[in-house]
Amino acid sequence: MDYKAVIIGGSAGSFQVVTKIVSSLPANYPLPVILCLHRLKHVRSGFVEALSIKAQMPIVEPNDKEPIKSGKIYLAPANYHLYVELGNRFSLSTEDAVNHSRPSIDLSFFSASYNYKRKLVGIILSGANKDGALGLKSVKDNGGLTIVQDPNECQVPTMTLASMNATNVDHVFSTNKIINFLLSLA
Amino acid sequence: MIDSLGIVDTKKMIAAIQESYGLDLSDYNLTTLRHRFLYILSYFNIVLVDEFVNQVKRNNIDYEELLEQLMIENTELFRDPSFWREMKEKYLPELSHSTGAKIWLAGESSGEEIFSLMVVLSELGLSNSIKILVSCPSKNRIAKIKAGGLYDLKKMEIGEANYTRLSGKFEFSSYYKIVDNKAVLDTSLLTGVEFDTLNISQVESNKSYRMIIFRNMMIQYNLPLYEKVTRKLMSNLTVGGHLILGNMESLEYSEVGKKMQLVNQDERIYRKRVD
Repeated sequence: MDYKAVIIGGSAGSFQVVTKIVSSLPANYPLPVILCLHRLKHVRSGFVEALSIKAQMPIVEPNDKEPIKSGKIYLAPANYHLYVELGNRFSLSTEDAVNHSRPSIDLSFFSASYNYKRKLVGIILSGANKDGALGLKSVKDNGGLTIVQDPNECQVPTMTLASMNATNVDHVFSTNKIINFLLSLA
Repeated sequence: MIDSLGIVDTKKMIAAIQESYGLDLSDYNLTTLRHRFLYILSYFNIVLVDEFVNQVKRNNIDYEELLEQLMIENTELFRDPSFWREMKEKYLPELSHSTGAKIWLAGESSGEEIFSLMVVLSELGLSNSIKILVSCPSKNRIAKIKAGGLYDLKKMEIGEANYTRLSGKFEFSSYYKIVDNKAVLDTSLLTGVEFDTLNISQVESNKSYRMIIFRNMMIQYNLPLYEKVTRKLMSNLTVGGHLILGNMESLEYSEVGKKMQLVNQDERIYRKRVD
């Protein structure tokens, strides 16, 4: 398998699922985990702290140009798009919102799939709009592995259903199965 | 589709623009540039990259129009209200105590940054005591800013919400009027403000600014250009002067930037310690 990164997209409604996932990953998890979650653009602080309460891996909002390292969880900061660049660094952008979102899940997934190609795992969780669907398609088109949370389990299934419509996803998993899968990469 | 411009096509466009207009985009962040080029193609109704290259070579595309459309929005009115609150309560009043203090807004794009600054300065009663220089490479943009911005009304909603969060003195709506469904900001705010079209990399070093505001501009650069521009910004700052970046930008990846002291972590305000 030999993956280089995991990228996860969801909206505010996915907070509990994300918390459960990040708290299940061990401190020495061998991949970077990139979280792009819809959030209020004017609330800059509090999100990392809330996610960190039960997490064993360090969670940070990356600076522009910050090198991407294994064993860390990166959360897209408020009011910026988060991109993966060649040279394994992040960049941030203030370009217009996409699907009314900044950060936009599509844009993060596009850049990550463009740079990691088949060495990327893309996961879409519960979410209230279709942002993320084309991003997950891009992961698939670049040879990466695609997973969506089981829509029956989602608080709001719009994002997962849109992703399943956009591409032929590899797995539809419950939260527990997503966690088991991620642990199997360690 | 938004992600369909490859590296080869991007480089073709960079080369054509450089050859015909002398504008060097080769050190700009590739992801953002690819998005922008896709937008440019659709703006000029061009389907193929080779057609764009030909049009540019034949000078069929107006340079000023291209430059205007290449500029990326880097802010909104009062983006990061907590930053503007710091400016209002601490940094601008402090700055006004030193005579002849100058602020350089070194990377303006839409005018929202300069209007935000001037609203805050005018509410402090300091509009006349601090000299302001605004640099924006696009003449078209400067003309628009001087005409009051001509913003979509959606931007005024964002501006109003941010203005309320920074606890502005008045109703935000008192600062603009609506003409033909566009918001025209009060141009008297810009009285005394100087504008130039210099690109940051062409600027000489004269070390005379007490404060340089350059928020969310270096996110558009790759590492070598970021290093070069950081050096340029620092050389235009007086000792003890402040350099202000976007709240998720950092000087820690720059060699020369390590000499700066981070005095406000949340708002990324740096202070120049030595020459």
